[in-house]
Amino acid sequence: MIIINLLILIFMPFLMLGIIKKTKAFWGGRKGASIFQPLFDFIKLIKKELVISKTTTSIFNIAPAVSLGVSLFASLFVPFLGYGAIIDIPFGLIAFSYILGFGKFVSIISAMDTGSSFEGMGASREACFTSMVEPAFFITMASIMALSGNYTLSCLKDILKSAGHYGILITVFAVIVLFLMILIECSRVPMDDPETHLELTMIHEVMILDNSSIDLGLFTYANALKMLLFSSLIGLMTIPSSLSFGLNILAYLGLFILISIIIGTIESGMARIRLSHIFEFVFIMSSFALIVLSLTVVRMFGG
Amino acid sequence: MLAFFIGIFLIFLSGIFALLFSEKFKLLIATIVSTIGLIICSFYAFYPLWAKEPLSLVIPEFNPLFGAITFNVDLLSSIFIGIISIISILGLIYSNGYLKHYKGKSLNSHIIFLTTLIASMLLVVTSTNALMFLICWEIMSLSSFFLVIFENEKKEVIKAGVKYLVFMHISVLFIIFAFGLISINAGSFDFNSFKTVLENNAQIANFALALATIGFGVKAGFIPFHNWLPVAHPAAPTHISGLMSGVMIKTGIYGILRMLMLAGTPSQALSFVVLFAGLISALYGIISATNQKNIKKLLAYSSIENIGIIGIGIGVGMLGLSFNFPPMALFGFLGAILHTINHSVFKTLLFFLTGNVYLKCHTKNIESLGGLMKKMPKTGKLFLLGSIAICALPPFNGFVSEFMIYASMFVGLESSNFFVILTLLLSIAVLALVGSTAIICFTKAFSTIFLGTPRSEVAENISSDSEKTMLIPTSILGIFAIVLGICPIMLFNHITPDMIVDVTHSLQAGKDFVIILFLMQTIATISAIFIVFLFALITLKRYLTKNKISKEETWGCGYNRANNKMQYSASSFAHPFIIMFRPLFKNIFDIEKPKGFFPKSAHYSSQTEDFEEAYLLHPVVKFDEWFLSKFETMQSGNIQSYIKYSLIFLALIIIGSLFIG
Repeated sequence: MIIINLLILIFMPFLMLGIIKKTKAFWGGRKGASIFQPLFDFIKLIKKELVISKTTTSIFNIAPAVSLGVSLFASLFVPFLGYGAIIDIPFGLIAFSYILGFGKFVSIISAMDTGSSFEGMGASREACFTSMVEPAFFITMASIMALSGNYTLSCLKDILKSAGHYGILITVFAVIVLFLMILIECSRVPMDDPETHLELTMIHEVMILDNSSIDLGLFTYANALKMLLFSSLIGLMTIPSSLSFGLNILAYLGLFILISIIIGTIESGMARIRLSHIFEFVFIMSSFALIVLSLTVVRMFGG
Repeated sequence: MLAFFIGIFLIFLSGIFALLFSEKFKLLIATIVSTIGLIICSFYAFYPLWAKEPLSLVIPEFNPLFGAITFNVDLLSSIFIGIISIISILGLIYSNGYLKHYKGKSLNSHIIFLTTLIASMLLVVTSTNALMFLICWEIMSLSSFFLVIFENEKKEVIKAGVKYLVFMHISVLFIIFAFGLISINAGSFDFNSFKTVLENNAQIANFALALATIGFGVKAGFIPFHNWLPVAHPAAPTHISGLMSGVMIKTGIYGILRMLMLAGTPSQALSFVVLFAGLISALYGIISATNQKNIKKLLAYSSIENIGIIGIGIGVGMLGLSFNFPPMALFGFLGAILHTINHSVFKTLLFFLTGNVYLKCHTKNIESLGGLMKKMPKTGKLFLLGSIAICALPPFNGFVSEFMIYASMFVGLESSNFFVILTLLLSIAVLALVGSTAIICFTKAFSTIFLGTPRSEVAENISSDSEKTMLIPTSILGIFAIVLGICPIMLFNHITPDMIVDVTHSLQAGKDFVIILFLMQTIATISAIFIVFLFALITLKRYLTKNKISKEETWGCGYNRANNKMQYSASSFAHPFIIMFRPLFKNIFDIEKPKGFFPKSAHYSSQTEDFEEAYLLHPVVKFDEWFLSKFETMQSGNIQSYIKYSLIFLALIIIGSLFIG
């Protein structure tokens, strides 16, 4: 079982990226690259030469490894594939969120390290726009924790059943919050356009503009791993826990593929939102979180 | 407890003793003698290791006004004694290096006031006689005033000092009101008699507690009484800013906690008010900090933010007490105390490091710095450590204390009161926003000062890092930040559950205490494993790419002559965020746009005023000035009219006494 978890953890992020690109190709009327292309790209990147800017200090050197370590360590807190998390302490949500915050801090200063105007812009936008994600995420998780009485990240499990006739509503809105979190934190449209590499549309991609070879590969993988972790949280809410072992894994894999297809469809259907409207978009996540808050509070004190 | 007073006497003595020496050795002698005294006092921080009960020293009644003067070291005092003594030792060592650069300025008065400040702070946290407390408090305020106006040849420094003095006296006024109210009912000035009055009389307790919270809140720096902080800290020399921000504002927190211990159970309304004050202070502080270009002002606003976070912890604790939900109270107060200790460590560290930078560059404006990491590597790395710690990110100490405060709010969700649950859920969101804004603020500060390329000549012309006397205290503080982040249980090892039961009068609290400490240490261990894991990955990557690195210029999209002006500046970094909070800032722009096809001149400058000051404090002060100006005619300078006033006053007294009899 651990082997299956590890395999999914290592390879699924690349597959999700590949499926997103394939979906975009489908909507664009093209055949598209194979879904394993991101994996082949990563292997190709590792073999290339590493080029480092003279302006940078040691922070630029360590940032990719830190980013990878942050995503891997954060995955220890997530109840992967519906089973209990490896680090299952109460209030683990805070550690999960702040460890990801540490990754964000280091990637921001690594971007500013290059002294380039492009990367500075990416760093500034990333820091400012994703700041509103934390409150919304915390409100959603804290409300569900208050409702279920379980203070670990496994509180999301079976909220569908245990909240009675509020279960569906809470699940729907919480899933929307988590999905918006994937779009924002993992820099997909409409927050950020991962296809272009210049200042008009970029937030995250421009932060890793100066990274090359294994650094670039690690950043890409770490970002995709975050996508996998949040999808796993969505799965925890939607997939019932009473499934058998094999069926459970198939359901989760199907969910990951479904989420990738939805992200790909959104990316094909929408352009990236105007920069001045991005804050409003991030606030939408907060409004859904507040809906979850009110639903849980009503459930606790009334219906 | 005699040794404690020997220590304090040594500190006083060092200031006077230092006057006998020549200019070169003055500060050194004062530092050495004070350090000996402070080391003696710091033993009292861990008194449970060698004393069974709280220690006290009683000076018997020699004056019916004072009553018997008692000095007491209990658990609460011991924590603050620890903070004051250890940070003061490091501050004194730092000042040796820092003040060397103020050649030609006489240090006589400065040394005396510095030693007086440290000694009076120690006396404040140990005195249990209200009158003695107020005397030591006043001495503390006055000596810190004189320390703030060290560079008194500059006009704005004196203005800042006077503003600071006024605010300190507003704070002491409220404290006097509170103490006066209680002591009239208690009949004596001793804190024990206060306890009896406060426990029995709920009305007086609420009113006095509210007054005392306002008074101590002004000292600590809660909104809306914070206006002195962003003005006094930049004006003061760096070692004083560090000491003030790291240690002195904590005496305000000590006062609030002491009053809570005396009062027992606070009212529900006051608990909500303290929680809201903490939330607003944290949010306003960090958003204002993100807008600043002056590094010391930025750190001052960040102090307001952290005091707000401590206030959130205290507020949640008070909610736990007033709604009778002990685990929440215990978590909240422990989180607040731990954050007080941690903030002293990393804020003092950050202030001292800005002192290093200031001495080399002679500017506090971060927009003209840059690329200092290559020239001042040790300062840069320590500043990075401090920034990560202050953003409450694992693995350093800020994370553990903010985790505890979050945990207290989550634990409170178990209570069954609607208002409490709603408030706590929204407070969790506000604290999360404060955390992510702190990341913006400190990535901005760190990257603008230390990363990239130098933005002006002052940053280019630095030759080397600071000297040892300024690097050693900061390194020690950095080590504290790491150790307290990995092993915070060291601070609480000497406190047994029995002591907690004594203080809180509940057996359950003792058991909860053990569980809380276990949770705290588990999180700290997880942070430790996290950093080890990261180090492993970094080393692995370094090993894999050892031979394959080539160094080139930063990619510039085909433009090869990138200059330092093309980098992001501090204001542009925070711009997307500040735009969103535009109404909160009274930004004054002085813009002259380039005109025509061959523009001749253009310039841009911006200034921010504190929102609360411009729209709340300023109108009140203007109204006061207007009102009092109506009485200007009374002060005619004419001696005859003053004699006339005295005669009228005498007549009124005589007639009045005839009627009252």
